[in-house]
Amino acid sequence: MLKKIYIWLFAVSLFALGSCKEHKVRQIPISDFFKTPEESIFRLSPDGKYISYTKPYNGQQNLFIRSLADGKDQVATAFTDYPVRDYSWTYSNQIVFVQDAVELDQFKMFALDINTLKTREVLSIEKGRIRLLNNRNKQEPDIVTLSMNKRDPANFDIYRLNIRTGALKMYLPNPGNITEWFPDDDGKIRLVKSSDGVDETILFRPDDKSPFKPIIRNNFRNRVEPVAFTGEKDNFYAMSNVNQDKTTLVEIDGSSGKEIKSILSCNKADIARVDYSRNKRCLELAVCEEEKPTKLFLNNTIKTMYDSLARKFSGSEINIVSRDTAEDKFIIFIYTDRNPGTYYLYETVAGKLTKLGDINSSIKPEELCAMKPVSFKARDGLLINGYLTLPQGSNTTGLPVVVMPHDQPWRTRDTWRYIDEVQFLANRGYAVFQVNYRGSAGYGKAFNSSGFKQAGGKIQDDITDGVKWLIDQKIADPDKIAIYGGGFGGFSALYGVSAHPGLYNCAVVQYGLINFFTYIKDVPPYFKPRLQMMYEMIGNPETDAEQLRAISPVFHTEKIRVPLLIFQGARDERANISELNQFVRELKKQNVPVTYILKPNERTVFRNEHNRMEMYEQIEKFLDDNMRVKR
Amino acid sequence: MQQDKNVYRKNFVLIIAFLILISVTFIVALFISYSLTEKYVENEFNSKNSEVLDQTTKPYNDLFYNTIPEITFYQGFLDSASAAKYSDSVFKTYHFVKRTTFYAIDIAVPTATEPRDLDVRVKAIYQFSPGNGGVVGSRKSSASDFSDFEMMSARLKTFVADADTAREPTQDQKFKTFYDIEPEKIIYLNIPRREDIKHYQDLLKNIHSNAVYAQNMITFTLDRSGLIVKNTHPELYKNVSIRPVVYDPIDNDNTNIVAESPFPGAFSNYKLYFTSPHDYLNAEVNRRFMPIGAMVLLIYIFLILIGWLIYRNLNVNIRLFKLQYDFINNFTHEFKTPVSVIKIAGSNLRSDTELSERQRKHYGKILDEEADRLNDLMNTLLSFTQLENNAIKAKKEEIVVEDFVRGYIDTFKIKYPDFKINFSIHGVVKFYADPVLLGSLFQNLMENAYKYSNPKRKELAINVKKNKKDIAFSFADRGIGIAKEEITHIFKKFYKVENQYNQQGSAGLGLAFCKELVNFMDGDITVNSKINEGSEFIVTLPYEAAE
Repeated sequence: MLKKIYIWLFAVSLFALGSCKEHKVRQIPISDFFKTPEESIFRLSPDGKYISYTKPYNGQQNLFIRSLADGKDQVATAFTDYPVRDYSWTYSNQIVFVQDAVELDQFKMFALDINTLKTREVLSIEKGRIRLLNNRNKQEPDIVTLSMNKRDPANFDIYRLNIRTGALKMYLPNPGNITEWFPDDDGKIRLVKSSDGVDETILFRPDDKSPFKPIIRNNFRNRVEPVAFTGEKDNFYAMSNVNQDKTTLVEIDGSSGKEIKSILSCNKADIARVDYSRNKRCLELAVCEEEKPTKLFLNNTIKTMYDSLARKFSGSEINIVSRDTAEDKFIIFIYTDRNPGTYYLYETVAGKLTKLGDINSSIKPEELCAMKPVSFKARDGLLINGYLTLPQGSNTTGLPVVVMPHDQPWRTRDTWRYIDEVQFLANRGYAVFQVNYRGSAGYGKAFNSSGFKQAGGKIQDDITDGVKWLIDQKIADPDKIAIYGGGFGGFSALYGVSAHPGLYNCAVVQYGLINFFTYIKDVPPYFKPRLQMMYEMIGNPETDAEQLRAISPVFHTEKIRVPLLIFQGARDERANISELNQFVRELKKQNVPVTYILKPNERTVFRNEHNRMEMYEQIEKFLDDNMRVKR
Repeated sequence: MQQDKNVYRKNFVLIIAFLILISVTFIVALFISYSLTEKYVENEFNSKNSEVLDQTTKPYNDLFYNTIPEITFYQGFLDSASAAKYSDSVFKTYHFVKRTTFYAIDIAVPTATEPRDLDVRVKAIYQFSPGNGGVVGSRKSSASDFSDFEMMSARLKTFVADADTAREPTQDQKFKTFYDIEPEKIIYLNIPRREDIKHYQDLLKNIHSNAVYAQNMITFTLDRSGLIVKNTHPELYKNVSIRPVVYDPIDNDNTNIVAESPFPGAFSNYKLYFTSPHDYLNAEVNRRFMPIGAMVLLIYIFLILIGWLIYRNLNVNIRLFKLQYDFINNFTHEFKTPVSVIKIAGSNLRSDTELSERQRKHYGKILDEEADRLNDLMNTLLSFTQLENNAIKAKKEEIVVEDFVRGYIDTFKIKYPDFKINFSIHGVVKFYADPVLLGSLFQNLMENAYKYSNPKRKELAINVKKNKKDIAFSFADRGIGIAKEEITHIFKKFYKVENQYNQQGSAGLGLAFCKELVNFMDGDITVNSKINEGSEFIVTLPYEAAE
């Protein structure tokens, strides 16, 4: 008997020792992951004398200025109500920025004088939106170009605002279908994009006096994204997938719209970004987003600079985020899957690197987990890419898994980078699985359009196939799988738990799409050009009513049996709160354990730091309760 | 009366009083429980009707709270085909919906004639009704159909004009605007979202004036005959029917008990009407009373049983008391004989002046013999009481069967030279038992065999054998035997078979003592006997083998 007890005690102590070892992974506090970035959006002033950045001050992101002459930092703004999110410098050393006053339904524009550090409101509109266009001009340094839907909520017109005098002048009225504007190096808008719903048209005019003339007409499956004028005749560089599957960098004749030549392309994925220097008027590089972002250089000076930087930051992604006009000072931003990002000042003349700040200094990359590109075959043989982040530790099998399908099919995809939610979950011991299901952007036209009208169909199958693949690979513990997503990802989560009740333990839904009728109806009138496209991608609510009804979770509460955690901001423009309330009420009536958190002063994504922390605490506890992770 | 205290009493009056008391209690309990049950059933009749109502109106409530708001989920995108599908699912689930009328409504900028109001127009009206396993639809344009629409569109216009889009409208506002409940008819207009209301208000301000928005309105015409009464308490309500709310017949005979509860919502012009004849309810009362009555009866029987048991115990005690009394009596007699012999010998010794040698020896023998007899009597008495009170403990000693038996045979042969004893032993050499107790058994049974045999046939056969887990000792004599009717009594204390052999010197304790001994040793004693042929006593003891 005594012997038995000894053996038992021995076993217990062994287990305890073993588990101690497992627990070496430190639980990083939620606040470290999700706190408002300390210092971010670093910018160089055009004359290279100042660095501006945003940093929390009085509880909100405010602007700070560092003078490079004496290295001193100064608070430039002191907002306590709404943060400064994005801003830009003018050639006259002014900083302009836009604020979204959520609770007042207002947009405000401010200008900050660098010499006096005084902020003044230059424009304010109600129930509309203001967007700054990246269009500064040395000749008229006080004029900023902006788009605003003041005249008609459905239409953004282009205005020119003198920030000294406050004089607002309409530059380009929108006939109703212009959705994008592309200023040239001199600040003139000679290229615009219009959309009548299904078709996009690129319009060109040789000068301000001439009328716009359509040069390229595209079905929305095709895209032409102008980059810059080449300077030769009316030619311009653009990213285009006309007559080919993947987006490539091409040169197009502006007067005819004909493609002159293809400059650069990449096999596996679209060209996602092209860097162009407006100072030197040359193409620098193109980024091809494969498993990881890959840079293809188009300019030797820049390549030399990147090469020397790459030696210093091997394994990291390096990007130039700001530069002075003379191009001898750069602000570079480096990041990895485990580093949220660090800003450096790089002075080419001296070859000097100065660290400016971390996006989040509480995060130690060595404590985080690697984001590994993976791929698997869907049931119809299509190759689907994704990313798998395994928690730290030697154990790579039988892990609890959180599946995170991304939002906005057709427009986005998951990419290799630091993602706070993913790292947070991995730190808590979950393997995180992200799927670029068919329909995701970035893999070419065929892959993108294979997802059309597949919401609730093959898109969902791809996610399910991915989970089954993980189980087959023995990575996932089939009894511990959760699904978590926002928007369309939230729909995928709800659809997953309804269609495969045995596969998932629970689901977390943020601003979930529960009704496709509402989703389509929710396209606000000023997005009306996109409505037709929506019909083609999701379905026509009148002709495809049965299909939309069949896939909308709101009609099928009886199929959901697993615990749910639902987050929603009450001011989310795209959500129908009373519908969601009804949905939750129905679920509760059917004894589905639902935790429903509705925050009155939030839009789609929770911005308030307190609300965000609470949300992740809830998620942590919810997953812990429902996945029974041994810690 | 004084002397009564020390005497066992039997008081029949007391017993009868007890019986009467509990019988009265029994009857009163029955009566009270019956009237309580009656009240309870009456209360239930008046209260359970809400349960029946709930069950009966459950489909209606499902329709009203779940299925109708589903129209809003379609966000105005319903058309004739999808409305038909929706109606079909309604008809399949809710048989009391007779007809639906679907209005496709367009909302556009105010017209020139009414510049302050939204232009709310009917695009089409379709009427659906169930038929041939599906749904039958037809396009409508009658004036009656428009009257519903006019009312709802007026409400919508007012609502849009007054709405505060900064906050969600209250449930009350929504109900008053988008629902209309009339007798056997529900009208529902899909509830636009805040964003939609903003757009409608924009239309009023002529913003984005070319837009046309869609709303859906559906009228549900209900038919009470499709409503199925779910009588969840058939034991209370014999008849449950749906009646107009004003239905109130005069019941002259007063044979029925009546209850009613009005329907909610669109059926509010009807009520559920419950009737049950008095007899019906009485039967229910009886049914419910049955288990209670049975319980009361059971308690009554139980009390009587306990009374009887107490009475019986008292009786047994009296008998025992008598037995002890007899015992003392008996023994006093037993003691008296030797004591009187000693007394006579004593007085003779004192009166005779000179004793001859022969006399001295004779008196000495008498005294010696009588003292032995007294001693024996006292030993028996003592060991008997000890055994009865479990005051002695059985010792386990190894006994060699043959030596043990032979020892007793030798003793008896010396004592009674005319006693013929045979013995045989089968399958056992040694075993464990208390030799003293076993000796007493042997002594008693052998003594009996000698005593109750005719002088010429004093024979005894002792047979020892082992049966599985037991060891059996058989003592078979060829004596006078025991009559059948006596056999059941011979092991009782002080029981004496009346015959010539036990005129003197038997207390009737020998076999009772043997029985006690055997019991004490966890064994058993039985007897087979035939008058004039002999008796066989068989003692069975548990066999405990020597290790």
